[in-house]
Amino acid sequence: MLTPPFVLHRPTSVEEACAIAAELAEADRPFDWVAGGTDLLPNYKWHLNPKGDVISLAHVDGADALEANRVGCMVRLHDVATSDVVHPLLAEAAAKVASSLIRRSATIGGNLCLDTRCFWYNQSEDWRRSIEWCHKADCGTGADCRVIPNQNTLCVATYQGDMAAAFMALGAEVELVGPSGERRMPLEDFFELDGMKKNVLQPGEFLLAVHLSDDASSRVGAYHKLRVRETWDFPEAGIAAAWIPGDAASLRVASTGLESIPGLHADLVEAHADWTDTEGRKRLSKALQKAIKPVNNTALPPRYRRSMVSVLASRALRAITQGE
Amino acid sequence: MSGGYRQQPGGAGGEVRKDGKRVAGKLRFTPPGAGGSRPVSTPRNLDGIPESVGGNEPQPAGHHVHDRLRTGTTVGQATALVDANAKVTGQAWYGDDVRLPNEVIGRILRSPHHYARIRSIDTSAAEAMPGVLAIATGDDAPKTFGVLPVTKDEHAMAVEKVRHVGDLVACVAAVDEATAMEALGAIVVDYEELEPEFDPRKGLEDVDEPIHWRGKYHVGRTNVQKRVHQAFGDRSKIEHAAATSRRAWRFEGVHHGFTEPHAVVAHWDANGRLQLYTPQQVPHYTHRALATVLDVPMHQINVVRTFVGGGFGGKSDPFPHEMCAAILARKCGRPVRITFDREEVYWINRGRHPSYIEVKLDADEDGRVAGLDVDALIDGGAFASFGHVTSYYNGVLATAPYELGSFHYTGARVWTNKPASGAMRGHGAVNTRCAVEVGLDDIAEQLSVDPIDLRLANLLPPHSRTISGFRITSNGMREALRRVKEESGWDEKFRKMPLGKGIGIGCGFFISGSGLPIHWDPNRFPHATVHIQVDMDGGVTVHTGAADIGQGSTTAVAQVVSEVLALPLDMIHVRSHESDTSPVDLGSYSSRVTFMNCNAAIRAAMEIREQLLNAAWDMLGYHPTTLVMVDRRIVYKHDPSIGVSYLQALHKAQEDKGALIARGAYRSPPMGGVHKGAAAGLAPAYSFSAYVAEVDVDVETGLVKCTRVWAAHDCGKALNPLAVEGQIIGSCHMGLGQVLSERMVYGRTGHLQNANLLQYQIPSVHEMPHVTPIIVESSDPEGPFGAKEAGEGPLLPILPAVCNAVYDAVGVRPSSLPLTPDVVWSDIQKRMKAEDVEDPLELTSPRLTHGPLQEKLASRAEEHQSRDRARQRTEDTSPYVNGVLFGFDPTRPIDEQLEGWAAIDDPDPESMAEMGYAGRAWLKQEQRHMGGDV
Repeated sequence: MLTPPFVLHRPTSVEEACAIAAELAEADRPFDWVAGGTDLLPNYKWHLNPKGDVISLAHVDGADALEANRVGCMVRLHDVATSDVVHPLLAEAAAKVASSLIRRSATIGGNLCLDTRCFWYNQSEDWRRSIEWCHKADCGTGADCRVIPNQNTLCVATYQGDMAAAFMALGAEVELVGPSGERRMPLEDFFELDGMKKNVLQPGEFLLAVHLSDDASSRVGAYHKLRVRETWDFPEAGIAAAWIPGDAASLRVASTGLESIPGLHADLVEAHADWTDTEGRKRLSKALQKAIKPVNNTALPPRYRRSMVSVLASRALRAITQGE
Repeated sequence: MSGGYRQQPGGAGGEVRKDGKRVAGKLRFTPPGAGGSRPVSTPRNLDGIPESVGGNEPQPAGHHVHDRLRTGTTVGQATALVDANAKVTGQAWYGDDVRLPNEVIGRILRSPHHYARIRSIDTSAAEAMPGVLAIATGDDAPKTFGVLPVTKDEHAMAVEKVRHVGDLVACVAAVDEATAMEALGAIVVDYEELEPEFDPRKGLEDVDEPIHWRGKYHVGRTNVQKRVHQAFGDRSKIEHAAATSRRAWRFEGVHHGFTEPHAVVAHWDANGRLQLYTPQQVPHYTHRALATVLDVPMHQINVVRTFVGGGFGGKSDPFPHEMCAAILARKCGRPVRITFDREEVYWINRGRHPSYIEVKLDADEDGRVAGLDVDALIDGGAFASFGHVTSYYNGVLATAPYELGSFHYTGARVWTNKPASGAMRGHGAVNTRCAVEVGLDDIAEQLSVDPIDLRLANLLPPHSRTISGFRITSNGMREALRRVKEESGWDEKFRKMPLGKGIGIGCGFFISGSGLPIHWDPNRFPHATVHIQVDMDGGVTVHTGAADIGQGSTTAVAQVVSEVLALPLDMIHVRSHESDTSPVDLGSYSSRVTFMNCNAAIRAAMEIREQLLNAAWDMLGYHPTTLVMVDRRIVYKHDPSIGVSYLQALHKAQEDKGALIARGAYRSPPMGGVHKGAAAGLAPAYSFSAYVAEVDVDVETGLVKCTRVWAAHDCGKALNPLAVEGQIIGSCHMGLGQVLSERMVYGRTGHLQNANLLQYQIPSVHEMPHVTPIIVESSDPEGPFGAKEAGEGPLLPILPAVCNAVYDAVGVRPSSLPLTPDVVWSDIQKRMKAEDVEDPLELTSPRLTHGPLQEKLASRAEEHQSRDRARQRTEDTSPYVNGVLFGFDPTRPIDEQLEGWAAIDDPDPESMAEMGYAGRAWLKQEQRHMGGDV
């Protein structure tokens, strides 16, 4: 299997990165950002939408700085998992990502911007040719979606990053930088529906850091992940929950690995203010299960993954209320 | 040594001649190489010498004919594999490590369609591309090949039709991979798509365009490749069954998941001979197939087996890409290398057959297995491969270790438009074994008895015959069961643990070497041949065709030679890589190598030993029967100070003839019945195993985690306990994959959805339980030093052990594998619905109160234990056939004693169809009986 050739740009500062991006945009040369490369490079090997230029963030000064309330995009998952500075929920979630080998390379930024996955899409070129391509990588054919045919408007590939749910539960904000300047938004607003679009990043823009507010440190959280093997596997479902103990309204519950984007379920939490007792937890968990609709494009069947939402949620909620 | 001329020893006394020169020593040079790696020889290790010949090694299973050859050198001692150093230091050369000067890269164009007729292939544009050196298509090699001579249905590249996505269409040799890939894109193939079939159950129906055509033997117009029927015993016994378990199983296809992808280098040398480098388990079949396909005599081909990075049956067919490399290399006049991507590995497949298996077990009021009915429909994919044999194995390998009142088997293998299934560790036996063992657990539940006691009261004894006529020699089944029962603390745990925790038992039975060589009559040519050559330096070169695929066959062969000749292991050099130098050998499959090649090696070593002892006789004047071989010495038995060194004896023996050369061969004894398919499953010995597994089941998610395994395997005699334990633990890992997570997923469109190692979920180290390997030694009378196989049999019991443990934990009995969490969860949901339970945590786990039969079984097991012990130690040599438990006289043919106890030859299609899917294959007639295609 050959990686298609590409030009690798290695800026050393945010400004330089933006300048290169602007330059490439001007020259009409499509490009990708790369951080740890554990997601992008396998996809390139499989010829999944490869670009001729790749801008690496690995050498951007300060991008790998790890602080309690600011996590740079180049911080390795391994460093988060073993850090005593970051919130324990982040360490817990990071430790559950892929394998120890991958966590050494994989980054926070890369995990949040993870490409969505689908078993009709994450396949070799020959394989995809034999199904006459799919909507997400149609190779100019205008091919239909293979998961839900005849809709042809939406890509339903599944977002299977672990960190997003944990960050959302802690109320994180992301810092985006691009040619048109810097902006910040809550993480839940960063993701934008459609498995191809994935997030709100504009051309030339990249995720520089994740910020946590001061109250995040007072939160108690838990992340529960469904997978067949305790290593390697992407989440088939993941639920993160965190609250400020004693303040039922402070609960934040986020899900990942189930739909095209991770989701924060603020309205459901609001509707179940009595979630702190056993019955309440059960009701909230069931409501979450009802609200989430996975499709058939990962290893386990969607009906099962959906049923597991309530199990994972009630376990996460139980975990964070223990000692109450 | 500082080099240069070396003074004869003994001159160190400082004597100086009158002319001032030093005086040369008068002593003889020590013979070259006398030291091996150690300078002095060690005394005899009596711990490694059996009791029967005066040593200290206990022999609870009795003495063995090879005992007198034991020297206590290596056999029975934990020995690091002789090629371990090369492997752990990265110096072993696997298929893709071969680099020849001037070589070019070959790539293969594969079919994007499941099933299509090739109208035309236009390679002109690709040929015109710079850097493209050769292109080949099916027209370049129209001859068929296949691993079995009866089912040659493969081509190097598709001729006329492509039969699955990934089937080979054309191949390109180019200066580099990128050019080759580009050239593939420039080949224009015009296909006419045909209606594909993916469901093996539909393969039983007539279709317009069967995937292959067998002429007058074709079954109707179906896709049935092979159908099999066997029936033995007294069917009337099942009419009054006290317990019946009938279960329809679905087993997904699994792949070997070996580390090294297929890779091959072909090179036509200066003399026009083909040198083919390939990681093959069975280089000889490749050798034969290459000769056929390339139209070159076999002696003009040298197949070089590289190190094999895992095989497990997946590298035992001759492969089309091996032909492609040779064809391209011939065309372009340069060496051609083809290395597969992982996806291509899945497309060539040969993994375990996806199967629909129905097993019906009947037990009578005495807890005897009155009937075992097996119906197995197996999905062969697009080619025959080993399928002819697999069709039989799915039934016949279930006929032991239990004594059966009757046995009925219907099997069918159908072609589908998927990558071909083939042989995989535990060939054909694994799925049915799982179904049978789970069925027995069910029977035990119904009879309110302990499942281990049920098994112990129904075992065939050593030196007996199975219902279909297999000759069982040594049999360690009983000891294996007792050991796992004891060590796992079974009695304190079974049916006594809380919800979510369970323990289960499973047994296994497997062949130790297939009794019939595929390509020749066993009476006319041996199964295995080994050559030994010993020259002046004392090193022993052993030539064998046994393919070491990581299982340690090279080490085993070296060990037995080292044992017989009492030489350190590093003086034995096994050469097994090239067909030019190694004797013809069937290679590594059907767990035959230890049994057959070591037997051949012992015979060859005995010949060398005889020549050495005769030389020592000449020198010492003591007859060889009074001489013993100790470490690099031959000494007088009654006075070890009288003796000669190994080298002295060797040089004496060489006086008239130079290097000592010997050969040994192994041929299996005549075995088996005369019924159709009697040869399938015949083996010179059989291995037995029993595992107990403990699991944790998350009742809310259905996740199963296997936490402990006690694994007892009867390998006859552990030549190398380290390797046997490795095989047992490795088998657990591989079997756990099939039972917990591995499966080849064919999606809605018939495409293989997970042709990569991320989505094809092989268990990781986190999923691996703590395995306690227990080696049982039953000392097989015909095995080398008593040894039998340990490579495949140990895989069988883990599947049912886990399934039965899951039942013990949550009270649901699986009927499909793998037990991915969604499968277990939906079974749990069904149970909750049936019992009207809201919360899975409120379910109860099954409990056992012993019924009246329990005591009866326990006492029968007691009786049988002493019976078995006497038979094992050949204190009791009376004949025993399956059926004695049901009251037959073993000295008279069973069919004389009871009408109805006989093989049923003419099956009635209607009643066969009731057996299950495979039985329905008998509703169709063969073409020759329909007047068509005669």
